[in-house]
Amino acid sequence: MKWLDKWLDRSAESTARTIAQRTSRRGFLGKLAGVVAGGAASVPLLPVARAQDNPAPQEAGDPASCEYWRYCAIDGFLCGCCGGSMNSCPPGTEMSPITWIGTCTNPVDNRNYIISYNDCCGKSSCGNCLCQRNEGDRPVYNPRVANDLNWCLGTSNNSYHCSTAIVIGTALD
Amino acid sequence: MKKLALFVLLAASPAFGQIGPEPTGQIGTLPASYPGHWVLLQDGAFFHMNNGKIIVVDADSDDPATRVKGMFDASFIAQMYQARTKSEIYIAETFYSRGTRGERTDVITIYDKVNLSPSGEVVIPPKRISGMPTYYHLQAVDNERLLLAYNFTPATSVSVVDIDSREFLGEIPIPGCSLIYPMAGRAFASLCTDGTMMSVQLDENGAQASSARTDVFFDANNDPLMEKAAMIDSVAYFPSFLGRVVPVDLSGDEPVVGDEWSLIGDEEGGWRPGGLAVTGTDAAGRMYVLMHPEGYEGSHKDPGVEVWVFDVGSRQRVDRIALDLPAISIGITQDDDPLLLATNINLEVDVYDVASGAHQRTLSGTGAQTPFLLHGGL
Repeated sequence: MKWLDKWLDRSAESTARTIAQRTSRRGFLGKLAGVVAGGAASVPLLPVARAQDNPAPQEAGDPASCEYWRYCAIDGFLCGCCGGSMNSCPPGTEMSPITWIGTCTNPVDNRNYIISYNDCCGKSSCGNCLCQRNEGDRPVYNPRVANDLNWCLGTSNNSYHCSTAIVIGTALD
Repeated sequence: MKKLALFVLLAASPAFGQIGPEPTGQIGTLPASYPGHWVLLQDGAFFHMNNGKIIVVDADSDDPATRVKGMFDASFIAQMYQARTKSEIYIAETFYSRGTRGERTDVITIYDKVNLSPSGEVVIPPKRISGMPTYYHLQAVDNERLLLAYNFTPATSVSVVDIDSREFLGEIPIPGCSLIYPMAGRAFASLCTDGTMMSVQLDENGAQASSARTDVFFDANNDPLMEKAAMIDSVAYFPSFLGRVVPVDLSGDEPVVGDEWSLIGDEEGGWRPGGLAVTGTDAAGRMYVLMHPEGYEGSHKDPGVEVWVFDVGSRQRVDRIALDLPAISIGITQDDDPLLLATNINLEVDVYDVASGAHQRTLSGTGAQTPFLLHGGL
């Protein structure tokens, strides 16, 4: 993965924010390992967890990091770095109604979730927080699980801006 | 006015040692056939997709200022096909009437290699795929008379264009199947989600004359075949995620699936093929594959650290080239003394001499930001 990190680092250019994300990733992974090993009782003082009152947070981690659990099969710019969020589009864009899906494991509850990577469309590339992860990604002849395709389809135009990662349900194990 | 007249007079009759007046309006041209080490960098412009371009570069040159020979545009994750029988390059591209919005128009733009300017265009249905480029989105058959463009809406079909008469002939649906692998004569094949290959024979007017399906020969989910085949003598060699190779002979009326073999053999270390442009071929018919060690589920697009070279006849690896920097895409020049081109993780293009495996230079400063595909000039 370290080569991929370099390619992504180069792609995202070296804004201070990006550097902070990259340099903290190892730390994040270490904390994550602790969460998984320690179970819910030790759940964590991570940004998302801290923002919630729920004592058993459903998610943990930094949604602006490529390593965030929902992004296991994402390929594109994170909408959360483009004026939207991990499950909403930035202002003035249009969400693609059809898309590709991934199956990602949420480390907090260790469940597999179906993630719909709806693209946000109608403007040129966001250019921020480029991520590529390919767990479960398959070649383009298997399109429902292929992230090499521009999924700005069924929208008023096909310009690609960024990608969301929306939970649409738990996966059947 | 007197001063101006004096100036013109002085300018027109330079004293000894001065630079003489030069004509304006001079515009460069290129040879109709490119030297063997000229390469075409296909910049998908991932950060501003409407401004994609193809840059012609002399890969032998150590001079960053003069190695760029010219460029031409290729809008919105365009696809490119370089003709072998004519001095032309075809680009499947998309335009919107208001830049990123408005009415969509898809065209095949015909570029003349001498002037790098459009010599014609054919409007095609606004359905062509926009996705990470591969060589199998745009192909030619029938001795390069018919150009085939892959459509994905997500319904899949193929637009057929007569390049000689510059007209769109029609659209052929290929439900459940994807991409265009050229077959001998006037036919193409496509990979299908159900693990088969579909083939379509065309008539003289570019309409479907017949079609056929192979038996199931791969699994689209478990160790699937990469769509990024190496084509050698009308045989498509498909590497699988885990390093099998499945040859499919496309020289007859229907695809014929051959016996599979392994890229990996006895090699230890968890090697797998991976990257964006994973395979290449040279004029001698060898297959090149970008490889990475310690593969895992999801590593099939990770950068590779070595390029393995295979003799597909003997199914043996005949060379392995260690890369100075990991690479996401490779390409091979098509001359008899080939260069290996590799888009490295800094998104610059490294040049290696295939015979020695030595890194020769890095093609920095070409103006390419995301050179996804690397084509040897023809």
